Amino acid sequence: MALLEVRNLVKTFGTKTVLDGVTFDLEEGQTKVIMGPSGCGKSTLLRCLNRLEEPTSGSVRFDGKEMTAPTADVRALRQLIGFVFQNFALYRHLTVLDNVTLALRQLKKMPAALAEERALHELARMDMAEKRDAYPASLSGGQSQRVAIARALAMEPRVLFFDEPTSALDPVMAREVVTLINRLYLENVTILCVTHDLYLAQYISDSIIFLDQGKVRAEDKAENLLSGHADPVIASFFGRKS
Amino acid sequence: MSFAQILQSLVAGLGYTVLVTLLCAATALVVALAIIAARRLGGKAAGNALDALVYVLRGIPVLVLLFMVFFGLPALGLDIPPLAAMMLSLGAVSGAYLSEIFRGSLQAVSQAEILAAQASGFTPFQSFRLIELPQMIRLSVPGMVNELTSVMKYSPFAYTVGIPEITKQAMALTSTTMQSLQIYTAVGLLYFGLYRAILLAVAYVERHFAIPGFAEE
Repeated sequence: MALLEVRNLVKTFGTKTVLDGVTFDLEEGQTKVIMGPSGCGKSTLLRCLNRLEEPTSGSVRFDGKEMTAPTADVRALRQLIGFVFQNFALYRHLTVLDNVTLALRQLKKMPAALAEERALHELARMDMAEKRDAYPASLSGGQSQRVAIARALAMEPRVLFFDEPTSALDPVMAREVVTLINRLYLENVTILCVTHDLYLAQYISDSIIFLDQGKVRAEDKAENLLSGHADPVIASFFGRKS
Repeated sequence: MSFAQILQSLVAGLGYTVLVTLLCAATALVVALAIIAARRLGGKAAGNALDALVYVLRGIPVLVLLFMVFFGLPALGLDIPPLAAMMLSLGAVSGAYLSEIFRGSLQAVSQAEILAAQASGFTPFQSFRLIELPQMIRLSVPGMVNELTSVMKYSPFAYTVGIPEITKQAMALTSTTMQSLQIYTAVGLLYFGLYRAILLAVAYVERHFAIPGFAEE
């Protein structure tokens, strides 16, 4: 049984269908990258999976539990999914350390000392421990993203969602973040990542889901999608990218 | 009477002025926080009802509301003590204004942070308490200083319900000494001193809770 099973997921906004019957699985320890043209529904898909957006229809099973059911414990689900945003979304009134410990203390009810220990472990993993007392405003984009990843990892999620983790970064910082995500990939952290960054996709993915007009157009290994795919839309997309 | 003696005579009233200002400011803060929390966490109906309440409170002169509370409510069998009447009128009106300042500051809190809190599993109340409220308060400081100053400047209304604050003391002193220019100059100086004290206190609190780079983003 896959950790995440998505079946016929549909999301409409008014008359516009953004997701049109998306189906895929994500196994424990696997990394999948979702790519596709702008506006194809990639970010909406991630948000539907942890119900930041309510899916219109379809099924999302997480660890065997149906998460689209009205009785589903959405907040418990969200604690199992680490979410890293494009714009980092660090709490700007809190220090780096407090950003990481806040959910541990408030949601996991962890004693402060234990939460701090856990947070420092994750910050060290992201090479950010020395910035523990800094505020987000003083961090570079790359540093902010590393703190955001540490914050997500501290909750010991079953899966990490990345929503365009490198798109707000300059190329040098983006490469730093790719290296860190690649490290997580090599540690078999389960990852679902939306990106436009082909470099990131190649480095971290077991397979790429190619989304087009709200539908899964293809799902395959990076090398198969990148090397002259038979589908002209995919070939053209990656041709333009590479 | 010398100017020093006039100041000394007015000091007794200063305590009441400070008391009225602090109690009304505290009431305003409680009212504004209740309004903003209910607006943020309550449904659309609660939001609409509160919008209407704020609209009405902002439209009524403080003195009229004070008279309604102090002289009007006894007709319904409700005797309101003078200080409580000030809190229910000046405090409530000021709370309505303050809630609008909070509303603007709350809109300045990054939606991405609220979304991140939601994605982590925080309840809307936890997100409000832990993420939005601390930022909202910090962003509201300049507006809160203005509102606190307004409360102080409206505090002389307290004399109309029998509270012996500075203005009341000054009127009593004028009627016996006829030194109105010196007396009201002294009153003005005392209010200005109070205003400076408020500014210094706020500056201290602001420095204490300052976050590097917070307001500049």
